[in-house]
Amino acid sequence: MTDRYDIRMLGPDDLYVSRGKGGVLQGVVDGRPYEELVAYRAFPFRFATEYISIRDAKDEELGIVRDIAELNEESAAELARELELRYFLPKVTRVDSVKFKSGLWVWELQTHLGPTSLAMRNLHDHVQAPGGSRIVLVDLSGKRCEIPDWRELDAHSRRQLEEVI
Amino acid sequence: MGEVKPQYVPRKATPAMPNALPNPLRERIRGELLFCAKTDLGSDGRFGGQWMAVTDREVRVWQEDGTQARGLSVTEIKDARAAAGIGGGMLVADANEGPVVLVRYTAEQTPIFGFAAKLLAALAKGEERPVLSERDVPPRCATCGHPLAEGSRVCPFCLNKGKAVSRMLKYALPYRLPLIAAAGLLVLTTLIELVPPYLTKLIIDDVLAAEGGKGSVLLAILLGLGATTLLMTFMSTVRGYIGMWVGTKVMGDIRRDVFGALMKLSLAYFDRRQTSQFIGRVNSDAESMRQFMTDGVVYVLGESLRVVFIFIVMCALDWQLSLLALLPVPVIVAVSMTLWPKISRRMYQQWRSIYRLNTLVGESLQGIRVVKAFGREPEEVSRYDGVNADVVRVNLRTERLWQIIFPAFGFIAGLGTLLIWYAGGFKVLRGELELGVVLAMIAYLGMLFRPLQSVSQMINWVSSAIVSAHRVFEILDTPSEVPDARDPAPIGSLKGDVEFRGVTYGYEKHHPVIKGVDLRVRAGEMIGLVGHSGAGKSTFINLLCRFYDTDEGDILIDGVPIRGIGQSDLRRQIGVVLQETFLFDGTIAENIAYSKPDATPEEIMRAAKIANAHDFIVRLPDGYDTKVGERGHKLSGGEKQRVAIARAIIHDPRILILDEATASVDTETERQIQEAISRLVQGRTTFAIAHRLSTLRNADRLVVLDRGRIVEVGTHEELLAKEDGVYRKLVDAQTELSKIKGVEGG
Repeated sequence: MTDRYDIRMLGPDDLYVSRGKGGVLQGVVDGRPYEELVAYRAFPFRFATEYISIRDAKDEELGIVRDIAELNEESAAELARELELRYFLPKVTRVDSVKFKSGLWVWELQTHLGPTSLAMRNLHDHVQAPGGSRIVLVDLSGKRCEIPDWRELDAHSRRQLEEVI
Repeated sequence: MGEVKPQYVPRKATPAMPNALPNPLRERIRGELLFCAKTDLGSDGRFGGQWMAVTDREVRVWQEDGTQARGLSVTEIKDARAAAGIGGGMLVADANEGPVVLVRYTAEQTPIFGFAAKLLAALAKGEERPVLSERDVPPRCATCGHPLAEGSRVCPFCLNKGKAVSRMLKYALPYRLPLIAAAGLLVLTTLIELVPPYLTKLIIDDVLAAEGGKGSVLLAILLGLGATTLLMTFMSTVRGYIGMWVGTKVMGDIRRDVFGALMKLSLAYFDRRQTSQFIGRVNSDAESMRQFMTDGVVYVLGESLRVVFIFIVMCALDWQLSLLALLPVPVIVAVSMTLWPKISRRMYQQWRSIYRLNTLVGESLQGIRVVKAFGREPEEVSRYDGVNADVVRVNLRTERLWQIIFPAFGFIAGLGTLLIWYAGGFKVLRGELELGVVLAMIAYLGMLFRPLQSVSQMINWVSSAIVSAHRVFEILDTPSEVPDARDPAPIGSLKGDVEFRGVTYGYEKHHPVIKGVDLRVRAGEMIGLVGHSGAGKSTFINLLCRFYDTDEGDILIDGVPIRGIGQSDLRRQIGVVLQETFLFDGTIAENIAYSKPDATPEEIMRAAKIANAHDFIVRLPDGYDTKVGERGHKLSGGEKQRVAIARAIIHDPRILILDEATASVDTETERQIQEAISRLVQGRTTFAIAHRLSTLRNADRLVVLDRGRIVEVGTHEELLAKEDGVYRKLVDAQTELSKIKGVEGG
């Protein structure tokens, strides 16, 4: 029996994941099959594909994947996909416009998951700069979008951002 | 005993579905349609949409183009749940062949599909179907389509259109008489200001340049000049005073409204913000609004009047010359109009960077003990430097714009003067015009351009005042997240029965910390809440006090949902002794009598006696009149606790909440507090949270919470008897811990 106060690291032979018929992440951990697995990012901001906590449907931690890339190719791809789905944080590819109208900041955005718009009551509570050139936008309804690096956006987007951040 | 008639206030059921199902899809379903909605994500997790329909026989999901994505009959489903992700979630049906993801959606739609999951689960298990309530469908404004806050029919965004300025000016309405006087004086001053250049013209043309100009005329005109200057000084002093008087009064009114609004907001509003930011924010916003009210309005009005008057006088002197001189005016106006939005955005940017700096300072100073204890001063300084550099950068950027504006306007204005000298000068040479008129025109033009040049100054005032007003009105407009019932049920005196019925709550909606809690508590029962930290104990208590409203389910007191009870009635019946005892600035007596300001000294002493506080209070040099709070006498933790208990006793609540009341005190003090508490809980429904499980031994029942769910309920003995129980583990862990402590102590 392993110490329950230790972090269990899962290597490529300990974990295999795939997608079930119903679209749910399933897999085999330490030789035991699970029909539903849940993946958490332990450091969602710093490490998107590292330190992934694998849990069963009852939310008991089965182990931690140090780096998705260490897993076999199929598992790695499926796990990365699951994280994309579970952590819904579209990356902004272009800022079409930022307008202030009737007390509301409205952002029209293109993201890697499609176009969307965000509505904010103000900027100081809804625009977060967690560090570097990264910006997280949180809409009134709790919907979030991320600008991984505003310096890498095109000139039009940067011009839109310049006045507001 | 006064029986309280249980009044169940049903939530309004919305007859319509979140979205109406398109007709072609409607034809393809079997059974009675119970629910349908359109998601905002596709199955691939991209923005898009899928249709989902639930009938009494099946659930179906279609792609946007109408092809079916999923279809399950109710008999194939064992259970259904909304699995929360981050920023979104998915609806999972536990089918016989394993879990199936039905749809995915963003956080915005969590309530809708949370309901769908409940409905599906009820169908699968053959239970009573839940009814779609208003709370399950986030309400949206009919005109702008933006989300509305719960319990509010008014869209703050559409409402705000009635311009912050006019709303700000409404505050001046009660002071209209002095304002009219000020306006009258303003018109007069502006008119009189026009006199000196005209008198100058008279001196030049009729006295100095005229043949046989008389010294007596010169003296008379000079006397007039002196008189107008004196009159102007007097009138602008009076006007300035009136403006300031009204502005100060108005600001007092606004500040009072803001504080009133802050007090009404729910705790959730403050949880999301740092308190230190409020102080700075309200103060600086009020200040810039005051500036606008006192100087801004008068200044802007006065200058506009002056422009109009000067224009009339100039045209009367020589209209051709005037039109020529006014050529640069549209340029000035156009430039200031294009700069307007740029400047106001930069002002807001500047405000935000200073605000970040203030927050950082507030935070570091509040946590100064931690900073010093860990020796992190240099890091705090470098953190400050970073934000400070940002302030400097933004400041410079804004200032750059300012510095360009003034010389630019000056240059354009200079062109106007040049034009008058050119055209007027030649006219004088040709003898078509008197020299005095040209000089008067130039004087007037200078006066005309002055307000236009300082149009930027006005932009500054107006825009920063509007930004501030927006933020102040934002606080005023924020609806309370725990709205008071429209027709509160009269509750009179309560028995104290408490029931939790399927209660779910999360500080963030997509992340519930209390999940489906059901609990019935009889009047007078003492319940101990047990669980690891983060299990949801404090949230449980906060919900009972209605600091927050449940996301799902209801809390009933004597059979009445607490949403239907007036908040002041509810608080009158609930007493709390919290983990962090907060004493207000004032005497001990005032603090004990906080909820009952008319308590007699005897009542106060009696309460203190029961709370084991009387003796130590009397021993203090100032007794019950000892000042406590931020600037007063420092009481120890245990003493504060007992004062707080006395405060709860005098409140005489039917329902009592004790949150870790004995944490961080020594054993003797703990005994005294325990004693006081055991006297306090008699005959009251009590909920107690304690880390030390031994302090809960008096409880009638213990409720063990784990990750937001109730996992065990029973007496200490019953729970201890469970071999693999959560409570047993907790007790074992603590026994272990006290052994370690014993060893350390020995």
